[in-house]
Amino acid sequence: MFDQQLLSIPGIKKLIGKLSGLAVLQALTIVLEAVFLARALVVVWQREKIAALVVPVLSFFVFFALRYLITRIESQITDNFADHAVDQLKEQLLQQEFRLGPRMVADVGSGHVVTLALEGLNQVQNYLDLIVLKTINMAIIPWIIVAYIFFVDWLSAVILLLMFPVIILFMVILGLSAKSKSDQQYAEFKQMANVFVDSIRGLKTLKLFGLSKKYGDNIYRVSENYRKSTMSVLKVALLSTFALDFFTTISIAIVAVLLGQALIVGSIGLLPALIILILCPDYFFPVRDYGDDYHATLDGKNALTEINRILVIPAPHSEVPLVDFQNWAKDSQLDVRDLNFTYPQADQPALSDLNFTLHGDSNVGIIGKSGAGKSTLLNVLGGWLQPDATEKDQPLVVDGQAVDSLAQPAWQKHISYIPQHPYIFAGTIAQNVAFYKPVADKAAIQQAVHQAGLDKFIAELPQGLETVIGEGGRGISGGQAQRIALARALLDTERTILLFDEPTAHLDLETEYELKQIMTKVFHNHLVFFSTHRLHWVSAMDYVLVMDQGRIVEQGTPAELKQKNGVYQELVNEIRGENNAE
Amino acid sequence: MQNKWQQDQWVRPNLKRYRKLLCLVFFLGVITILCGVGLMFVAGYLISRTATHPYNILVVYVPVLLTRAFGIGRPAFKYLERINSHNWVLKITSSLRKRLYVTLESSALFLSEQFQSGKLLGFLADDIDHLENFYLRTIFPIVVAYLTGIVLLIGLGIVSWPYALVMFVLFVIILVVIPLLSQSIQGATRVRQRELVQDSYQRLTDATFGIADWMISGRETEFVQTVRKQDEPAGKLNRKANLFEWNRDFVVKLLFGLMIMVTIGWAALALTGHQESANYATAFTLGIFPLMDSFGAVPQAAEEGPMYQESLNRLNDLSRQVKPQPVKPEHLPAPQSLQKIHFENVSFHYPKTDTDIIQQVSFTVPAGQSLAIIGPSGVGKTTLLELLTGSLVPTQGQVWFDQLPAHDLQAVADQWFSVLDQQPFLFNTTIMNNVRIGNEQATDDDVKKAIQEVGLADLVNELPDGLETDVSENGVRLSGGQRQRLALARILLQDNPVVVLDEPTVGLDPITEQQLITTINRVLAGKTMIWVTHHLQGLNHVNQIIFLENGHLKMQGTPAELYRTNERYRNLYRMDLGE
Repeated sequence: MFDQQLLSIPGIKKLIGKLSGLAVLQALTIVLEAVFLARALVVVWQREKIAALVVPVLSFFVFFALRYLITRIESQITDNFADHAVDQLKEQLLQQEFRLGPRMVADVGSGHVVTLALEGLNQVQNYLDLIVLKTINMAIIPWIIVAYIFFVDWLSAVILLLMFPVIILFMVILGLSAKSKSDQQYAEFKQMANVFVDSIRGLKTLKLFGLSKKYGDNIYRVSENYRKSTMSVLKVALLSTFALDFFTTISIAIVAVLLGQALIVGSIGLLPALIILILCPDYFFPVRDYGDDYHATLDGKNALTEINRILVIPAPHSEVPLVDFQNWAKDSQLDVRDLNFTYPQADQPALSDLNFTLHGDSNVGIIGKSGAGKSTLLNVLGGWLQPDATEKDQPLVVDGQAVDSLAQPAWQKHISYIPQHPYIFAGTIAQNVAFYKPVADKAAIQQAVHQAGLDKFIAELPQGLETVIGEGGRGISGGQAQRIALARALLDTERTILLFDEPTAHLDLETEYELKQIMTKVFHNHLVFFSTHRLHWVSAMDYVLVMDQGRIVEQGTPAELKQKNGVYQELVNEIRGENNAE
Repeated sequence: MQNKWQQDQWVRPNLKRYRKLLCLVFFLGVITILCGVGLMFVAGYLISRTATHPYNILVVYVPVLLTRAFGIGRPAFKYLERINSHNWVLKITSSLRKRLYVTLESSALFLSEQFQSGKLLGFLADDIDHLENFYLRTIFPIVVAYLTGIVLLIGLGIVSWPYALVMFVLFVIILVVIPLLSQSIQGATRVRQRELVQDSYQRLTDATFGIADWMISGRETEFVQTVRKQDEPAGKLNRKANLFEWNRDFVVKLLFGLMIMVTIGWAALALTGHQESANYATAFTLGIFPLMDSFGAVPQAAEEGPMYQESLNRLNDLSRQVKPQPVKPEHLPAPQSLQKIHFENVSFHYPKTDTDIIQQVSFTVPAGQSLAIIGPSGVGKTTLLELLTGSLVPTQGQVWFDQLPAHDLQAVADQWFSVLDQQPFLFNTTIMNNVRIGNEQATDDDVKKAIQEVGLADLVNELPDGLETDVSENGVRLSGGQRQRLALARILLQDNPVVVLDEPTVGLDPITEQQLITTINRVLAGKTMIWVTHHLQGLNHVNQIIFLENGHLKMQGTPAELYRTNERYRNLYRMDLGE
């Protein structure tokens, strides 16, 4: 029942120790509170003087207050622990995200990563807040109370003791049968919620086809059907709570009646009888408390499992470090030899047997249909994906050094990456441009901004370079975002390798045209990898890799490819279709 | 606040509409608590009474019976209460969902960009869930506790009014003063917490999207710190809120301690006249304990109330924005009789702005011909389409469908226009159902024929369940080109005279794009086509091109004319072809 993962959280043993101590103390205050309350009630019952009440009533209050003071302290200790543990987990999760990089984040799902890091961790916190404390209380408090009752009246103690396994048994039986049903119900519920969101999202479509009015009744009907099926499941599912409640209250009733009979025959005094009666609800309280929150903690348990799963995903890493690589230079050379890459859990390799050699400041176009492996190749070149391990030679050779992977700081500090939607973080334009090189001076930033063709855009802004963009700031167009990413790459002159992944796919023709004038200027003095399916870029390249189904099916200079009249030319013809303007 | 509540259209009407079931839920809730109180009360009395050694167990026959009745009654009523309250809330949810749908459906908003993003829709769907919790976690516990309090006070008032008065004061402190205090101190904190969570969502998403840049920038510590620093205010706020809650709960417990002491004191003063009345001292005292659970939950419930305010506000704001349904004019011509569409000096600006997004635009499209609208992003192409379909009304000039202004067609738009846009929406159902949306009367053969025409027959035949295959949510199982083709099949079934193509090929690779364009031209031949695009590919077949810039018509003519006479067009055309 106790989740094994919890034991690996640092500091949990200390917490268990502390809470156990407090639970023992609390059990004692519960007993003493009951004893003094019973005494006070006996004084009233015996119609003694009011003065006789002072000591027992005040003592009762003191222990009553102490009892709840302990509860309060327990909450605080547990919460501090959970806070700290969740903090640590968050840090680990972020570091892991950083290590895994874009490709892996995309695999796990960026939305999922964010949800886990926020909501998931919240649920974990809730789980830690509840589960440890309630388990310990259940494991300690009832037993101390029942032990005390045993000394007062063994028969009552036996009844209470017998009830405990009955309660647990019923909880388990009903819980199990209800669980499978409610799991199924939960799935239905999810589906129902999806149908609802689906129809709201598709409202425009429904309206266009004149169906939107009719659909409103459909939503109501589906929702009502769902209600009916849910209710039939709930009727069973809630029985477990009913059983728990039923056995606790009925035990109290039985004990009360039994005590009454014992009192009539005089085999027990009023004081012990009252003490037992007062202690009865407290005996059952921890198990009820645990049962009430049990379901609430399930989400947290699952979230913790999921986080632990992500934390152990292997990050791309190099076994063979790249030494003595200063920077990409005119005489640098990259050889790719029999490079293969397979995604985890995939049957087919996403890249198979790639071979090519590049020198100096080549501008390399990577073209091919969607799904040909263009992005995967860029991710391998960026060091975010680990090529398949080979028995023979290492697949990548940088300036004569064979390495197993480009997940190398020495390599990565020289690359820039410009995807379709470049990352613009919340901050000023200057900060965004200086992202790779936060210490850059203003003149250098202005120079980079100028090169990226942003002068006119910035001149129109009242705050110029200090304009806040990104989340919560001024919105910028896709074309401007590309230019800012370009300026970012240009500012850090150490970054001589540029990776472009479909940077203009979503831009309109004129914006693309303008951007092309700027970009082609930048291409000189850089090693450029440019993945695109807009073929006009090919004329700006001096080497082209044509990809299809994870393989390089053709490579060479644009002129060579044209001459060959092979796959490349086929692609060109297909794209032009039947176009003949003249 | 008061006023808002008066105008509320989301919570209040439902409270009224299902009030019978609601009253039952409250009644069961109160009875449940009273059974708990009753059990301890009677048990206390039973023990005190038997301690006087009555000669026979029959003397306490009634209390014995009552003990058992309350012992069984409490769990039974609690069970019934939970079943009924869930039933009630789910009923409400059904009608809230329908209400949200109907509101959105009639809202003039629904064509706006904001809605298309789907983000706001997600919020609204969540808001409905939040309202569920509002009922279950705030309204129910508070109302039940109040009703119980009133019942108990009336009972105590009959026994002894001075005691009832003291208890009244204590009840008021626990049920009214502390909850109000909680709400005023914590309410704002809660709302602020929610905002902070929203913020960190946004920022973390941002950082995650930029993970490649962070990674190659080598600024790991900074990345972690940037994200972590955003947590600090939320963490601080959480600790503050928790501290308040712990202390408050402790104070509430102390008040219960006080209540017990007061009761013992009152019993010692008032009930010790006879042994018979002294037997009740224990009963009254023990009866207080079961209240700790239900009354103790009220401050927390009250505190969470303002959290739902935002959801409620958003929904109510939506209700206020509802515009009246378009009226269907009498004697509308048949859609098939259309001769020409004519933009006559059309200008448009949004209310509360002066800048015309569309300025003095005129052109004519004869029925059965095609027009392409090109130009950079954000120059009003979409606005032009909304004017065409009548969802926007020109501020100057008029859009004519023969002799009829476009907005007169609003009520029957679904019989005039078909729209193919960037991301056609596919419902989470079968391919068959998705296509049949185009025309619900279509036979299976009609659907098959449409699918054949748009070139999806091979794909469908390969699928294990054929036409009955589910497209999973939002059509993710199909590629972009296939989704467009599916949407095109719908349009074929719908068979309207005017087809609006709003950049349907954006995001497709050029080969898929070219193939799709060919198909569109083939299957839609003979229809009036208005085609918004920013690629020149595939425009050779259109009858007319207009080039929009800053709301003006910059160029206008047939593709061949423009290629011959306009250098700018020629440059773009060449680049687009990859020359």
